[in-house]
Amino acid sequence: MIDRVQLKEIDWVLTALMVANTLAGILLIYSASADSGGGYAWKQLLWMAAGLIVFFLTISIDYKAWMAFAPYIYALFLLFMAGLFLFGRTVSGSRSWIRIAFMGGQPSELAKVAVLLMLARVFSEYRAPYASRGVIALSAGLVGVPMGLILLQPDFGTAMCFLPILFGALVLAGLTKKTVAAMLIGAVVLGAAGWNFFLKDYQKKRIEMMINPAQDPRGAGYHVLQSQIAIGSGGLTGKGYLKGPQSRLRFLPARHTDFIFAVLAEDFGFAGVFAVLAAYFAMLARMFSSVGLSRDRAGIYIAFLAAGLISFQFLVNVFMIVGWLPITGIPIPLLSYGGSSLLSTYFALGLVVNVKMRRFANV
Amino acid sequence: MSDKGIYEDFSLVRRRARRIFVIVAVLCGLTLAVYWKIQILDYKKYESLAVANRTREIILPAPRAILTDRTGDIILADNRAAFKASFIRENTRDEAASIARVASLLELDPSVVASRIEKYKSWPAFRPIVVKDRLTFEEVARIEARKNDLPELIVETEPRRLYPRQSFCSHVLGYLQEADANDLKERARELRPGDMVGKMGIEQGYDRRIAGREGRVIDVVDSLGRKQSELERVDPVPGKKLALTIDYDLQAKAEELLAGREGAIVVLDPSNGEILALASFPTFDPNKFITRFTPEEWQSFVNNPDNPLLNRALQGQYSPGSLFKPVMGIAALDSRTIGLETTFYCGGGIEIYGALRRCWNEAGHGALSLRDAIRYSCNVFFYQLGRRIPIDTIARYAEMMGLGRKTGVDIPGEKEGLVPSTRWKKTTRNEEWYPGETISVAIGQGPLQVTPLQMAVLTARLANRGRGIRPHLVLGASEEPPGDSALNVRPEVFEQVIEGMWRSVNEGGTGQGARVEGFAACGKTGSTQTISRETAERIGTGAKAAKTHSWFTGFAPRAQPRLVVTVLVEYGGGGGATAAPIAGKLFSLYKSNHDRPRSTQGN
Repeated sequence: MIDRVQLKEIDWVLTALMVANTLAGILLIYSASADSGGGYAWKQLLWMAAGLIVFFLTISIDYKAWMAFAPYIYALFLLFMAGLFLFGRTVSGSRSWIRIAFMGGQPSELAKVAVLLMLARVFSEYRAPYASRGVIALSAGLVGVPMGLILLQPDFGTAMCFLPILFGALVLAGLTKKTVAAMLIGAVVLGAAGWNFFLKDYQKKRIEMMINPAQDPRGAGYHVLQSQIAIGSGGLTGKGYLKGPQSRLRFLPARHTDFIFAVLAEDFGFAGVFAVLAAYFAMLARMFSSVGLSRDRAGIYIAFLAAGLISFQFLVNVFMIVGWLPITGIPIPLLSYGGSSLLSTYFALGLVVNVKMRRFANV
Repeated sequence: MSDKGIYEDFSLVRRRARRIFVIVAVLCGLTLAVYWKIQILDYKKYESLAVANRTREIILPAPRAILTDRTGDIILADNRAAFKASFIRENTRDEAASIARVASLLELDPSVVASRIEKYKSWPAFRPIVVKDRLTFEEVARIEARKNDLPELIVETEPRRLYPRQSFCSHVLGYLQEADANDLKERARELRPGDMVGKMGIEQGYDRRIAGREGRVIDVVDSLGRKQSELERVDPVPGKKLALTIDYDLQAKAEELLAGREGAIVVLDPSNGEILALASFPTFDPNKFITRFTPEEWQSFVNNPDNPLLNRALQGQYSPGSLFKPVMGIAALDSRTIGLETTFYCGGGIEIYGALRRCWNEAGHGALSLRDAIRYSCNVFFYQLGRRIPIDTIARYAEMMGLGRKTGVDIPGEKEGLVPSTRWKKTTRNEEWYPGETISVAIGQGPLQVTPLQMAVLTARLANRGRGIRPHLVLGASEEPPGDSALNVRPEVFEQVIEGMWRSVNEGGTGQGARVEGFAACGKTGSTQTISRETAERIGTGAKAAKTHSWFTGFAPRAQPRLVVTVLVEYGGGGGATAAPIAGKLFSLYKSNHDRPRSTQGN
């Protein structure tokens, strides 16, 4: 399955960046949960160990085999989520958390990678310069069904993460100006319909809050305001590790998950933000550079979609916590606490490394 | 898969991927810019928000100064710990529901609680809003028992004013009420909404000194408002004990003598202006007003036609009546309108300017000098003076003696009274002065108005043979009078008037009710019609309205005056019958309190 030549070709730089970002995340999770003994940090460390196993398992199987399995994996997750919808238990207003053994798992996180694989498979044989209506419809359907199930849970944030997979694939396959225009019109119509018929009141409120967080500082705008205060009061060098009062005194909501970057900004200031952003950007750049090194279309799609997915989640989160985007519950891959998020990210990164290390392989 | 892939041209696809990467890179750059703005450019704004977020200032109210009588031993105003129930908006999710629960627990109308909370809506949500004060122990226990399911309701303690002798000295002490919009505007730096401020008397006049300096604690709290640590503490500084000039015995006696009537008594020391007693009736219990709410008692006081909150000694304006005659005497002698031995004949009445003016004694007093005219309070004598002295000269002497302007007493609210003159009539009524009006003024009637305190101060000036004083209620307050301290009046002028006042009390004059053996009191009585007898009969208001206000003012002893007493009893009848005996009892009490040790030594 994996030979010594390929072992040498493993992108150790990308792997190191992945681990470094994870460890930075664990440090921040420790700070965010220090008042309760840092429990989440130790758990995340275990998840990282599990993630590394997933990572090496992923690269040990040729991505072509993953391609071959893609429809089965996809179908499995679809069934799983449909079952979840019927039997799932509700945690904080959402059905996505189920008990797997003794650990909570969120299958929709892993579903993102399953959909990513499925689209890569669809486009691996697609050679036309521009995406046809048929392939657009097919990929929209493949993304739309799991996305719809997740919206029904309801988990707006995770569902949104399917959009960069779909649009990433379509952009790569080529979109004519006409298609882009049609999609924009469709988006406006769907958006209006969604606002009026599908979005829940609390979700609408969050979007309104983004426009004016001060209008209700004790209500929905509270989280954004507290996050802005934490980030802004960090200043240039921060309050010091474990010393950020916004975090320590629990003014900052969801400190170890969605708002982990605000903990960074408060503890380490702009200097810390700059350092982590640099490390994260280096990782993203390394992933995007793999796109140019893959030997076939499937590899290109895998590397590109994985890079796009992680970029999307990172950017949405860092803009969300400063109030530039509505609060949608999208964590930062690797930095935020969360087992299934970490596992699916390691899975996606494994696929990228997998593609790159097998670029010279002759099969 | 086939080998074809290796030779396939992916440049188009890769170009598209690079374009997306460029967008990602640009957005990462934008991220840096956004965080630079928030963390570096707006740092100060967010840092101050963060500080406000985690710190909480708690005000520690300072106990008000203890007020005592002049010995410093008898406490007139004290403090004790009191409990109040306060509402914390931050600790509730559903404000309407918790208002209803709080109201039922405190047995209040929900609208009262709601309006209270509405009033302080602009406050930060963590700051407690007082919804009920003067809690009973039972109420405190009830709130404490519900502590866990009603986190929005807390019990706070505060020092509360206590007047241990209830209504004793109430018009001097005043009372407290929650600062109103006007107070908060005028004293924006010192007061905050919910503070209690003095609203009358010493409590108002010396509010800044009595209030002390509040302390504060700055706590660090977590997002649930739980205290984590104390950042700063400034202990409150209580107001410094204040001794009043009030003589407990005289004050108690004055109040006892006035009880059941309407009127005022002022007792002061003419040598320095210290007010030894100041009573006004009807009176009130200031303890009942120390609440942030408007109790029924308050409503009933405000609506009471007898107006117990009016301090009649400072704010009641009355015709001086015959008390004005000594002023007329000084004006006449000093202006040399008459000589020391000039006499006028009183036949019980006199026709002046075509109208018959009666003396109170219809049998007439015969020929008398100024001394005996004061002694018998003969009207005809003073009508004759009124015919000879122009109104503006009278006004000049009245003002010199301190009428028509504030005495400068150290508590707020005193009235100026009114001294009429030709200019006054021109400016207020746009009419010429009629000489006939001067005749009324000459016996203290007409537009002339004085307060009992002004009469006491005027009497002190007489007693001091022209030297003025500033009446005051706090030991050590300024004694310098507003206006001239000494008068440019010949000494023998005062001696003539004082002789008349002495005779009035000691030689069978109208003031003989004030006579005290061995205490050489000098005084003057007055009985002023509130409405004319004819009007009273016409509207039939009965005996009370037809009765005159009863006045007495005097000092003792004659040679070295130590005491001035001024008494006004509304509808009290004749000054000689009602007011003079009251003054006599006060002279007598003072004498026995102060002279007994000496006399026992002498024996």
